Amino acid sequence: MNPISRRAVLAALLAMATPALGQTTITDSRGTQTFDEIPQRVIALSWAVVEQLVELDVPLLAVADPEGYRLWVVQPSLGPDVKNVGQRNEPNVERIAELKPDLIVISDDQAELAPVLERIAPVVHFKLFSLDHDNAEATRTSYLELARLFDREQLARERLAGLDAHLAELRGKAERHFGGDLPKVTAISLLDQARVRVHGGNSTSQAALLALGLEPAFPQPATTWGFVQKRVEQLGAVEDGIILNIEPFPGADALFPSPLWKAMPFVRAGRFARVKPSWTFGGAFSVGYLAEAFTEALLTIDP
Amino acid sequence: MTMRIVLCLAALVAATLIHLGISSPLPLATKWVLATSVAPDLFEEVRFYHSVLPRLAMALLAGAALGLSGAIMQEATQNRLASPMTLGVSAGARVGLYAATVFLPGLAAAYGEWFALAGASATMLLVLAIAGRQGIGGLPIVLAGMALNLLLSAVAVVLIIMNEFYVRHLFVWGAGDLTQIDWQGVSWLWPRLLLALPFALLLARPLTLLRLGEQGASARGVPIMQVLALALLVALWLTATVVAIVGVIGFIGLIAPNIARMAGARSTLDRLVTSIALGAALMVGTDAVALYGSNFTSDMIPSGATAALVGAPALVWLAASQMKARDHLRFFLPKGRDRMSVPALGLLALVTAGILAASFAVAVTGEGWRVEWPSELVFALRWPRIAASAAAGVAMAIAGVVLQRLIRNPLASPDIMGMTSGATLALVASAILAGGSIHDAGTGVAVLGSATVLGLLILFGRRADYAPGIMALAGISLAALLDAIVQFVIARGGEEAFAIVGWLSGSTYRVQADEAIFLAICAAAFLALGLLARRPLTLIIAGDTLAGSRGLSVPAARLGMLVFSATVTAAVTSVMGPIAFVGLISPHLASLLGARRAGHQLVAAALIGMSLLTVSDWLGRSVLYPAQLPAGTIAAIIGGSYFILLLARRPR
Repeated sequence: MNPISRRAVLAALLAMATPALGQTTITDSRGTQTFDEIPQRVIALSWAVVEQLVELDVPLLAVADPEGYRLWVVQPSLGPDVKNVGQRNEPNVERIAELKPDLIVISDDQAELAPVLERIAPVVHFKLFSLDHDNAEATRTSYLELARLFDREQLARERLAGLDAHLAELRGKAERHFGGDLPKVTAISLLDQARVRVHGGNSTSQAALLALGLEPAFPQPATTWGFVQKRVEQLGAVEDGIILNIEPFPGADALFPSPLWKAMPFVRAGRFARVKPSWTFGGAFSVGYLAEAFTEALLTIDP
Repeated sequence: MTMRIVLCLAALVAATLIHLGISSPLPLATKWVLATSVAPDLFEEVRFYHSVLPRLAMALLAGAALGLSGAIMQEATQNRLASPMTLGVSAGARVGLYAATVFLPGLAAAYGEWFALAGASATMLLVLAIAGRQGIGGLPIVLAGMALNLLLSAVAVVLIIMNEFYVRHLFVWGAGDLTQIDWQGVSWLWPRLLLALPFALLLARPLTLLRLGEQGASARGVPIMQVLALALLVALWLTATVVAIVGVIGFIGLIAPNIARMAGARSTLDRLVTSIALGAALMVGTDAVALYGSNFTSDMIPSGATAALVGAPALVWLAASQMKARDHLRFFLPKGRDRMSVPALGLLALVTAGILAASFAVAVTGEGWRVEWPSELVFALRWPRIAASAAAGVAMAIAGVVLQRLIRNPLASPDIMGMTSGATLALVASAILAGGSIHDAGTGVAVLGSATVLGLLILFGRRADYAPGIMALAGISLAALLDAIVQFVIARGGEEAFAIVGWLSGSTYRVQADEAIFLAICAAAFLALGLLARRPLTLIIAGDTLAGSRGLSVPAARLGMLVFSATVTAAVTSVMGPIAFVGLISPHLASLLGARRAGHQLVAAALIGMSLLTVSDWLGRSVLYPAQLPAGTIAAIIGGSYFILLLARRPR
């Protein structure tokens, strides 16, 4: 018996042991909530929870700023009929009320909207990005909680196992490419020709790299959202290791031909690669998409 | 003279050496050969030649240009408080570039300085039109500049909210940072600055003659208008090119010419040249502070932030030591009707009630426009927002009436006097330091911030019997400091940055029922208090002597009114975020309608403030549906534009 189906059997046994049949109790950042039936009309207001619900195949009635999601998060892709309820920062509560949802899922800074949204429908809030925990771990927990609510734990465990298997496969690819001697790697987002965002402790990017077995080349302290902003020249401190820049980067023409950039130790050593545009503030599955994009970029670097 | 030149040069050399010591670990001798002859090879050497040196050169150039620009503005306006920052010109240049980047990205990348110049020039013209010939030399032009600063930041917020990701890389630049990666920025900037230098030096003599006064200057054959126009154009060009390449860095252009004057530079030419040297030294010095500080933080510190940290207290100190007599310059608005009858006041109340009802009943929905009384649920969602905007409008209008009477200047208001900034600064700082959401920071912090500003105002004001000039300048310093910190937060990006931008534009979105009730009770109490204080409010505007002879204790009344308006502001800001312009224009509109007596003006202004913010909130919910714009931003744009129109039509 392979581990997945053993887990599935366990889950099934647990489900049978639940006291009132049809009732589900889940734990979010504000405590436990009991649902009598599976929600059908779901609205999600932060992109990190949108990702989790899409990965559970839950059909979404509406999300905040779907255009932005399609432009910046891209994967997993959002259905075409999803309605727009305004911006993530200030979603339109009247529009949400009009759509008569039976569940609203929010995260992080949206916590303070909960008292208002609760007038409309039950609200589930997850704290995904925080200094108090490991962000990548928190997104797995919330994913499983959501799965329980939608009675899709089996699917969730399969998907997570699939994700882990995929990460292991990517790690194997990287190990084969670098001949077992894995380099240190840090991901950055260049903002303009002079300033850069370094993805450090507690970032989705670093979680993806660690999943590939790659230690940080330019370690940064953990922050809430997992990044610090620095001057580009400060990257010169990276003596040993690989730097990956997540595109898009509008200042490429100004920075890359410059003598300063060409003199960076990692550039001189050919230890730099560009990564296709990827969302760096997502959940468990963004770790997978990022790991994929990072591996693709790493394979272009000579071992 | 010789002594001063030696001192200036010594300061410049010292600042440069400190900067070089902090920015690169290489020994000085190595630096010298790298700068002069040897080609760099090791990374640290390359970094020195292609990043450290150009940064230093950029600091020298930008500082010199800002110092000269400020000095020319001060000479042309004969006003020691004029500078690219205080006149709103830097903010104008920034918004010009923001707008170009959003609407004409291709052109903006190639001809950025021209868009910056257009923005700066438009702002300068508006400020001059608002202040008028009488106001150029004193407080009115600075208050007008401050008003423009507020309006422009509202416009910038709209551009940011509508294009949050598109302009992301602009936020970094907007913060004012001198980081360089090669010599391109420097080689772009220096010829453009050099172009302006001969004009600036040639202008020294005609500018000196302007000091003789208009008639004296005309008698010696100086074409006054042409000289002024040319001088301001040169100053604008200097500012715009610097803003285009390093963003907004405040205070240097204000402080350098003032130090030059204090150091005893007597002739105009002398002051211009000394300001160039001091501006460069100050910029290099504050940039060294930014670089040094960055060693201890994981995030970089932008140069503009340290310039503001050093400059804001310097400005307050300057204000306290220099501003004495300027503050009684009078400033008049167009005369409206002479009195307002009780039926007219009733009509105004009726119109306000109509607006309130309409804001409940008319709305965009998923199915288009609807005119119907909202369902119970929608009503429950809608009323706290409408109640909060109505109450905040009343409260800010009352604070505005009190301050304008107290300071006897129709350009005074809580936002322009820094009371709003104090509360905001406290909330933003607590959100950054505590790492939480700005929305959780709470009323206590806001009151603490307002009270601190109030304390400072009282501390500085007491010596001068709460003279208006010092009050206003403290406000401007705080607002500029706030701007630098906010720009820094925005430049960091991330989700919390957008939350802070949203909050800073004064939104009713997060107002809860209990907060709305709290604000409504406060507004009613403030109005009642204001009406009870009709007599001091009437007497204080008549002048200190008259008020004193009628038995009013002027210092006590001033203190009371200051405490009152700071409390009102803190209450509003803690619930809704900063609300600009409502406190400024509601009292004006009230007196235009004829409500000139204290009691009438209070009631009429309260009704107008209520209508203005309610309409703004309604527009914010409707215009970009389902996305929303903050009520405060819309109020600032409506209020600011109206204000400018009003002043442009002012009799001279």
